[in-house]
Amino acid sequence: MKKLKLIISREYMAMVKSKSFILTTLLMPLLILLCGGVPALIGYLNNAGSDTETVAVIDETGKYARAIKDTDLYHFVAMRGDTVTNLHDFYDKSNGSIAAVVVIPARVDSLHTVTIYSEGTVNANLKSTLNEALSDTLTRARVASYGVEGLQDMIDNSTVDVDVKSVKWSDDGSENETSTEIAMVLGFALSMLTYMFVLMYGAMIMNSVVEEKTTRIVEVIVSSCKPFQLMMGKIIGIGLVGLTQLAVWVVLINVIGAVVAVTMGGMDMSMLSGGVPMAAGAGEMAQQVDDNMVRNIVTGLLNVNYGAILSCFVFYFIGGYLLYGALFAAFGSAVDQASDAGQFTSPIILVMIIALYAGMACIENPNGPMAVACSIIPFTSPVVMMVRLPYDVPMWQVACSLLLLYATAATFVWVAARIYRTGILLYGKKYSFKEIFKWIKG
Amino acid sequence: MDFIEIKDVVKRYSGHTALDGVSMNVPQGCIYGLLGPNGAGKTSLIRIINRITHQDSGEVLLDGRPIVDDDVTRIGYLPEERGLYKKMKVMDQIVYLARLKGMPQALAKSEAKAWLGRFGLEEWGDKKLEALSKGMAQKVQFIATVIHRPQLLIFDEPFSGFDPVNAEMLKKEIMALRDGGATILFSTHNMASVEALCEQITLINNSKVVLQGQVAAIRQLYKKNIIAVALEGDDVLPVQDTLYEVLPAMPGTHETAIKLKDGVSIKQAVSWLNDNCRLTGFHEVLPSMNEVFIETVNKTKTPVA
Repeated sequence: MKKLKLIISREYMAMVKSKSFILTTLLMPLLILLCGGVPALIGYLNNAGSDTETVAVIDETGKYARAIKDTDLYHFVAMRGDTVTNLHDFYDKSNGSIAAVVVIPARVDSLHTVTIYSEGTVNANLKSTLNEALSDTLTRARVASYGVEGLQDMIDNSTVDVDVKSVKWSDDGSENETSTEIAMVLGFALSMLTYMFVLMYGAMIMNSVVEEKTTRIVEVIVSSCKPFQLMMGKIIGIGLVGLTQLAVWVVLINVIGAVVAVTMGGMDMSMLSGGVPMAAGAGEMAQQVDDNMVRNIVTGLLNVNYGAILSCFVFYFIGGYLLYGALFAAFGSAVDQASDAGQFTSPIILVMIIALYAGMACIENPNGPMAVACSIIPFTSPVVMMVRLPYDVPMWQVACSLLLLYATAATFVWVAARIYRTGILLYGKKYSFKEIFKWIKG
Repeated sequence: MDFIEIKDVVKRYSGHTALDGVSMNVPQGCIYGLLGPNGAGKTSLIRIINRITHQDSGEVLLDGRPIVDDDVTRIGYLPEERGLYKKMKVMDQIVYLARLKGMPQALAKSEAKAWLGRFGLEEWGDKKLEALSKGMAQKVQFIATVIHRPQLLIFDEPFSGFDPVNAEMLKKEIMALRDGGATILFSTHNMASVEALCEQITLINNSKVVLQGQVAAIRQLYKKNIIAVALEGDDVLPVQDTLYEVLPAMPGTHETAIKLKDGVSIKQAVSWLNDNCRLTGFHEVLPSMNEVFIETVNKTKTPVA
């Protein structure tokens, strides 16, 4: 036990102190935030750099110019139609203080057309601003023109947006509102996490085994401890490295996220959500939609059974890591250099990819026969069950699958130990699956 | 008192037998040579003593009792294929290996410092191993082998990779360890170092013991009745077919080697020579361990089918 602890701490320290670990641990969250933040940032920078431009609105009707509200980019100056005789002279005389001239013709109610005059290309943003502002106002004007009292309210009230809610009965008959989207995202995120973790850290275990073999230090180490202790120390130590990395990432992403949120707090949220400033009316509507969505997400989040999901996740995560980690260690011991390990690792990767696709398919139908089967088979269960878990899997299935997973993991650790203790002492040859099976018996 | 007793040990791998009924007794405080050509089974035997692998039958006793896993803390092993962690600091590395052998951390640190100083490596404790030259890395490996003061030391080709100056220093360290009470099992192909260091040897060939005993006795056993004689000035050795045959000249000496005919004693030959030429000196030539090795291995070679 003392030796095992010593080996675990060496494996852990050796990995944590390495430059590549420090770099990936620190840079990965930045990369993730960068990928997520780039579109928003570009939208922000694009608008932040430009000054507010003045646009003259020549309103021949005299009633619609008010409907066009100033935005961060444009300041609209309303002018009466009879004040301007020659548009181009007027534009020239402004000496560039006016970026564009918008003409709202007298017959706009029937023409449905306004025109923007300018020397440059017309900004799409200006077009959409005008479109949104005038469409709404003109629609209302037309509704009013029918002279039916209260027609606008009727129209407003008759717009129906059906919100589909799902309610889940508990065993005692009480009702819980659930959110399928939340469950889906959470399940898939946990599933991806398990998949990536097992493959990344499994490969690290293998490389570490190969390195000890090629530097020949393994013979010195196993003259002081049992090969099993060395193998388990490595699997556990590297697993802890992975958990450390995850923990650092969670903390870093939260901290960076908070910092970004604070520094960008002054920014218009509408810019962040795509860089298109919305006109006031549309903005209000969006605000309403947002409120509904937020409420749904919150109730959804509250109703997902986190305690159960996360504790199951921990068990599946550890079980899956042990199972595959042991295999990677065994295969590492059978080769002289990591590049020779392809013949052994490709079956593992294939199975993992199948598990991932099975997991994706489960999102569509989390209780279908394939989903149930794959979440019980130990090779795919750590990935697939993660997708199913948020949908309340029957207890017996979870118990059955966990039991199978741990029984298989224990068997694989045992088998791997037998391969490992033989493999680490044999040099200079690539061994085949056939020879490795002999080591298990021997 | 024998520190290691190996009794009729057999080790089979799929397809071949690595050790076939090997027995060997290594006395306490002795430097014992384990010899044999490549693939003879030396490494298999060493790995069994180190508890890295296990024999299929037979017994290994350490200090009179069957060896157990915990005995590895009493053994120091320097494998032929050297290896340390390239990215680990020298000091950390020695301390880690010492602690694996059951040494407390503080003691391991102070001992490591002392040993590094002794080998002139005190500046290198904080460096990663990859920064060291091959010779320095060999010294670090030697320190890691002996730091926990093992009662049994197993050296597999300890001198490979050392220049003559460092090899001499290493030889002195090994003898000092022996004088400190350690028993040393020494596996090598370098027969000159066997003559210089070992009191007893076991020679393994084709998985079996083919020669065993005191180095001095073995050389006596293998002697070919050859004496080297030195003559005064330009005196020439007379031909005397009934007594001896003159062997080809030995380069680098003034001596001439003669092989006595069967039944002729050294006394007879020397008194005849003394009467017939101006003899200034003579001595018996014992076979080198190298010759013994080659002769024994060739004699026991299994015919190739």
